[in-house]
Formats: sequence, structure tokens, C-alpha cells
Amino acid sequence: MLKTIIAKEFLNNILDLRFIVGFVLCIIITIACIMILAHDYRQEMKDYNARVNLEDEILDNYAPVEFDRLLGMVRTQKPPERFRPLIVGIQGNENVGSFDDNPLPILFPPLDFLFIVTIIMSLLAMLFSHDAIAGERQNGTLRLVISNSISRTNILLGKFIGGIASLIIPFILSLLVGVLYISVNPAIQWDGSAWAELVLLTAASIIFITLFYLLGLMVSTFSRYSSTSILNCLFLWVLLILVIPNVCTYISAQLCRIPSIKETERMQDEIKYPALKGARKHMNEAAKRFKLKYDGLFSEFESMEYGGIGTWFFLGREASSTQQKAAQQRAEADPKFKAMMDSFRQEFEMAMKEFRRIVKEAGFDKIAKNLHRKVAMQTKLAKNLACISPFANFVYVARDLTGTGLRNLKYFERTKNEYEEQFVSYAEEKISGARKKNPAIDEEYFLDVSDRPRFVFKEEPLKYKLGEVLPYWGILVLFNVVFFAAAFAGFMRYDVR
Amino acid sequence: MLKSIIRKEILSNLLGYKFSIITILSTILILISIFVMYRDYYLAMENHDILRAESGDNVEIIPPTPLGIFTKGLDENLCRSFVIDPEGIEISNKKQKSVNDLFKLFTAPDLLYIIKVILSLCAMLFAFDIICGEKETGTLRQSLSNRLKRPILVIGKWIGGFISFILPFFIAVLLGTTYVTLSPMVDMNAQDCAKLGLFLLSGVIYLAVFFSLGLLISCLTHRSSTSLFISLFVWAILVFLIPNLGNILARQLVEIPTVQHLELKHRRNWIKGNFELTELERRRDRIKGDSEFRKVDDYRRQEIIIIRRMMAEIDNLNEDYRNRFNRLVKVSQNITRFSPAAAFTFLATDIMGTGMAEERRLKRAVLQYRNILLIDWYTNENRDEKSKPPIFNYQRSSVKEILGQGGLSNFLILILFNILFFTGAHVAFLRYDVR
Repeated sequence: MLKTIIAKEFLNNILDLRFIVGFVLCIIITIACIMILAHDYRQEMKDYNARVNLEDEILDNYAPVEFDRLLGMVRTQKPPERFRPLIVGIQGNENVGSFDDNPLPILFPPLDFLFIVTIIMSLLAMLFSHDAIAGERQNGTLRLVISNSISRTNILLGKFIGGIASLIIPFILSLLVGVLYISVNPAIQWDGSAWAELVLLTAASIIFITLFYLLGLMVSTFSRYSSTSILNCLFLWVLLILVIPNVCTYISAQLCRIPSIKETERMQDEIKYPALKGARKHMNEAAKRFKLKYDGLFSEFESMEYGGIGTWFFLGREASSTQQKAAQQRAEADPKFKAMMDSFRQEFEMAMKEFRRIVKEAGFDKIAKNLHRKVAMQTKLAKNLACISPFANFVYVARDLTGTGLRNLKYFERTKNEYEEQFVSYAEEKISGARKKNPAIDEEYFLDVSDRPRFVFKEEPLKYKLGEVLPYWGILVLFNVVFFAAAFAGFMRYDVR
Repeated sequence: MLKSIIRKEILSNLLGYKFSIITILSTILILISIFVMYRDYYLAMENHDILRAESGDNVEIIPPTPLGIFTKGLDENLCRSFVIDPEGIEISNKKQKSVNDLFKLFTAPDLLYIIKVILSLCAMLFAFDIICGEKETGTLRQSLSNRLKRPILVIGKWIGGFISFILPFFIAVLLGTTYVTLSPMVDMNAQDCAKLGLFLLSGVIYLAVFFSLGLLISCLTHRSSTSLFISLFVWAILVFLIPNLGNILARQLVEIPTVQHLELKHRRNWIKGNFELTELERRRDRIKGDSEFRKVDDYRRQEIIIIRRMMAEIDNLNEDYRNRFNRLVKVSQNITRFSPAAAFTFLATDIMGTGMAEERRLKRAVLQYRNILLIDWYTNENRDEKSKPPIFNYQRSSVKEILGQGGLSNFLILILFNILFFTGAHVAFLRYDVR
């Protein structure tokens, strides 16, 4: 009997106008969306390659011998996400922090697979299920069905399976066409893990669509008329999709306040500057003592801006390379000058040590840690609040799984930092090697860094991503269970007359 | 007769379940939105004050507008602090909100979003069964069996339906606006009030578009379930699909490099130029003796030529990028204007001073100010207090300027949509089979 109900429900649905319109719309939007995004991906890839080449050109021709300047020249370029033909990734701060950035996406967020699932498919699911019970009651067919020897559980199960099958088929078909386009596109190269992620994404999408179908079914079992049922369904849809996720982040910002970065910097400055003042005082006194002790020799050393020892730190300006070189040459030639320079360096190191101690004891690092802790708290609160809505859970799952979300941004930051650390050791070695070979090199000398380590971004392994998304996946399944149980309870008590 | 139809329509709506649920939804949402966005404005003001107090002469920042409570638009972008350097303009985006990345995932729930997305859906829900619903219940047949003209009936139904729909919206907006204007943090002048009034007027016209569209679909269908289904899909296409897809489509038509690419090109030019300058400096340092002293002047001249060339190259790159970007915005606006939602977004954000027009205007003003500073830096190295360049003073566009800058075109588009859909509904109803 269950099979008969499923077949009847399935046939009823696919012969309905809703199915035809939904099917056509799904196919057209999915294909159009994937084709446009695939083209966009090609353009992004072209831009990325051009950026990498430009970066190489700069480093190959103008790598300075000065450590800080060399490090400042290294910029890691983020490639477009491999799922870009399906889901548009979130921009990192490097894109939104520029004078010439494009603000249009703020006004109109781009359309992608996420939009199709969360807006079109969820709406379609509710339109399919809102009259599954109430509509049949109005037509009088529910009464006839129940008058046979068939349990209510079977009716509900049949309606659910038949209805969801007729909904999932157009979705899977349109996705398959889109995926076919991706697989034949030579610009898009997906490996095994990408295909596995796509399968998981499809599974998550099906769970999400089922959830809204069940929600519609549940509302239908609590309504007498399909007109009331659809209104209640749309009310819930608006709340769950359009309101809760958007409001939660703002509410969390009110509930859990974060001191602004500027404010944090100000607090840190309040610690840093008095300590710096103390250290400068120490150095000034040292300078006076040195003057008394070494007289003319120290005046000469002063005119060389102390050979660069702590000049930037205490005087706020750099000693030029000529001055540094001159001091070094003078020290090599005159042992007395060298002894004075060494003991001045010792004084500087002592002052610095004291400076670091005071700053540490006053809780300089704690202030930054406090900011990060509060940011983490606010983000966690917003994330947890938004979990009331299946939309937010699905967005977390889909984005983190496909590497188009916040997790991927953080992962990129991590790999970028690792690369930068690698580059720091390379640069130290390279510069000291170059200086050993030719001690006379100055800031105008360019290094040959053609053997430098190159940044290659590798996707995060799937198992780590799965670990992150599983709780949200669990919540989506829980929503399904709750809605089905509520629909079941509602239908058991339903007055079919 | 018209009056009776309007009265009947209003009464039947007021007593219906649809009215109750939509009223509750819109009132709650509008009040939550205004409260949440007011708190957001408070935070933005706090951050602005901190940034303002700590910024130097070459850092320019404008305060957030209280109208951002209703239409956030690009206000966050506009209120970033612009650090002006000889190399270019940098953004110091150290804002409180930017540290929580979750804001990137979701949209600001402002009044614009509520009107554009949620209330437009409500408008269609109000109108989808105005004609076909009455046909199903049989009352349409009865009404037309009297001496009642079809145009009168359809106009009466439109006016009555729309009044009953817009009434709760007005009450909620009035409550929210009163709360905002009475709060001490918000300082709204007459211009701001005029802008808010214009925004609400355009909101009403926008909602009327969707109401007329719902009526048109109702006149084209014979079953309310079919009408509802079509209405929802047309709504999804107009509100989400066209504006969001149009933006990406425009990017395919206008090739534009990313900002990072542009910045890399700047950096390459800057490094190249600096290299040439250092070479020049080296050659100059080798000059010794009074006989060759006059050559220093030549080197100085060459230095200026290199700096000017560097600046010109950077300016050319920027100009090319900005030209492409303006073309992109234009193409995107033209594509998305097929949707009333996009036309309304452009209109509302432009009116409230948080839109693309204001963004362009501000960037132009910052660039002009940078030129003034550059001239000052290069020509007046030992300046005294009196010869300091004028401070950066930026006022957002007035209502007159907004309407003059083409804000009216989006307004006209919305009116055109209204006329089109209502005429369509009228014609369809004249041919409607009421049996």
C-alpha cells in the first residue's frame, strides 16, 4: 500500500503545473548560473596568473638586500576557489580594504548554487508540501483514503517519500547538467577530493530541501485549509531564511561588545610609550656617560647616527646605509671605536630588555589576547544564534565543505603564514650569504632570489573540513527529525472531515 | 460604486487571516530592523569618533549618516578612513565590525532589505487572489452581474487592497522612525527628513509595483493556487535572480582586473621608479668639487621628471581602472534595471546618500583633495601654519543634487513598471472569463 501512495503522490506532483514550472526554472537557473560562474572563474584564474607573474617579475628584478624590505615585497596571491563555478567565495579583507574596490557585490550579493538551494528549492519544497494534507482534506480525498484499511503512518510516509522524490529529481537532473558542463570545461580541473566534496554538498542540499518539505508537511497537518497553510509556510520561510540569519549577527554584536581595534591600540600605546620613554631616558643618560668617557670619538659616532644601533627605535629615524657602513669601517680600523660601539650596543640591549619587561608586566599582550578572545566569543555567539535557522546551518556546511567560506579564509591565512615563515628563513640565509660573499653590498644591491620557495595553495584535506561541518550537518538532520515527528503527531490527531 | 468596492475590499482584507499574519510579520520585522540598525549606527558613530580623534592631517574620514539606519547600503565603505600618501590612497579599515567575519555571510537587515525582499513578497501575497480568488468563490460573477463596470471593479480592488496592505507598514515605520528621531544619538536635519520622506515614497511606489504585478497574475490565472505559485516564482526572479545574476553578467561583459592586480602594478611602477631615483642619487653623490656643483641642479630636474613620470603612470593605471569600473557599474545598472528590486535599491541608496552615486562622489572628492595635498607636499616643503592646505570637508549630496544626478530615472522606471503592470492587469481583466 505504501508503494501505491508513493506512486500516486509522485505522479500527482509531476503532472502538476508546479512541477513543470519548477523543473524548467531549476534547469535554466542552474545551467545559466554555472555557465556564467565558470566564465567568471576563467577570468579570475587569468587575473590570478597575471598577478603571480607580476609578483615574480618584481622579485626577480628588484629583490632588495635589506631584510624588512624584502619581506615587505612578498605577497601571497590567493587563487580563486575551485568551487567558484558553483559557489562564489567570500572575499578576504585584502579585497574590501582597497580604495578602488568594487562595492557592487555589497548591494547585490552574487547568485550561485547556494542561492538556488536556499531560496528556489526551499520555496519549491514548501509549495509542494503545504497542501499535502490540508489540500486533500479540502478536496475530500483524504477522507476516502483513510476509510480504507491503511494506517495514517503509511499515508504520511507515502506522501513524504513521493513528494520528496518528485522534488529531488529536477534538482539532481539540473545539477547533473551543470556538473557535466564543469567536467568538460578544460579550464576547470577537479581532483578526486573535489568530486567527493560535490557529492557531500549534494547530500547536504538534499537534507536541506527535505527539511523544508517536512516543514511544509508539518504546517499542512496543523492547518485546515491550504490557503492558511501556505501563508503560515511563507511566514516561517521568511523568518528562517530571510530574517533570523541576518539579524543574529547584528544581535550578537550588541550582546557581546568588542573593543575596537583602534581602542585596543590606544590601550597598548598607553603601556608602550611610557616604557619607551624610560628606555629613551636610559639611552640619553648612557649617551651622556659615553660622551664624557670617549669625548670626540663619541661625537663622531653620533654623527654616524650611532651606526644604526637603536636609532630607529629611539630617534624615530633610520641611519642611512652609508652611515652604518662608515661606522662599521671605523670600528674595523680602530679597536677603541669598536670597544665603544660594542658597549653602546650592550647599553641598547639592556634598555630594550627593560622595555620588554615593563611592557610584558603591564599586560601588553593580554590586551590583544582579550580582543581576540572577545572577537571569538562574538563570532561564536552569532554562529550559535544563527543555528536556529536551517539556512545558516546549510550555509556553514556548504561553504566550509567546498572551501568557499570563512574557514577557507582562515586556512589560507595559516598556509600564508607558514609560507612567510619559510621565506623568512630563506631570506635570512640568502642575505647573510650575500653579505659574506660581498661585505660591501649596500641597499642598492639586488639579490638573486630565483631559487626562492614559491607559494602554492593546496586545499585543506576533506577529513578536517568534515570535522568542522558535521555538527551543523547534525543540526540539519535534527531539524528533519523534529519536523517529521511534529508532522506525524499532527497527522495522528488530524480531523479528516 | 468605486467607494463601495474600496470599502468592501478594505473590510474583507482587515478581517482576513492574511492581513493579521502579514501585519504581525511586517510590524515585528520593521521594529526589529530599526532597533538593530540603530544600535549598529551607534557602534559606527563610536568607531568614527575614535578614528577621527586619532587620525592625522592626511587621513580623511566622514561620519556615518543616521539614514544608514534605514538604508545601510555602502555606508560602511563610505565611512572608512582614507589615508592619503604620495604613493596612493590606502584604506584604514580598522572598524569594530570588520573583525567579526560572520558579517560577510549575511545581509544587513535594514528597512531597505525588509521593503525590497519581505514586503514585496507580502504585497504579492495580498494581491495574488484578488481576482482569481473571487472567481473561485463565485463572488466575482455576482459582482459583475450588477451594473458595475470592470475598470471600476479592478481599480476599486487595487486601491482597497493596496490601502489595507500599506496601512500596517506605515504604522510600523512611523513607530520606528519616532523611536530613532527621539533618540539623542541621532541628529537628523531637514534634508535628512526630506530624504527619508522620499525614500518612503519610493518604497510605497516599489510595493505598488509588486501589488500590481500580483493583480496582473491574478487576472491571468483562474485558480488561486496557480496564481500563488507563479507569483512566488516571478518574485524570486525579480528580487533575487535578475539583480544578483546581472552583477556577475556585467563582469563577463566588461573585463576589469582585480584590485590586487592593480595594486601590484602600482608597486612595480613604484619600485622601478625608486630604483631609477636611487641610481640618480648615486650619480649625484659622486659629484665632488665646486666646478661641478651646478650639475646638481640638472640632477634635481631629472629627479622631478622621474617622479612626474611615476605619478603619471600610476594615474594612467588608476584612470584606466576607474573608466573600466564605471563602465562595469553602468552595464550592471542597465542589466539589473529590468528588475524593480534593483531600480529600487539604486534609488533608495542614492536618495539616502549610501549608494553608488555617493560612493563615486566621495572618491572623486578624496582624489581631488589628494591632488591638493600632493601639490602642497611637492611645492611647499617648508610651509608654515598659515599656508597649510584646506581641511577635507565633505557634505553628502542634497536632495536636489540626487534628483539631478539621475536619481529620477530609477524613480521613473518604478512608475513605468507600475503603469505597465496595472495596464496589463486592466487589459487582462477586461478579457477575463468570470464563469
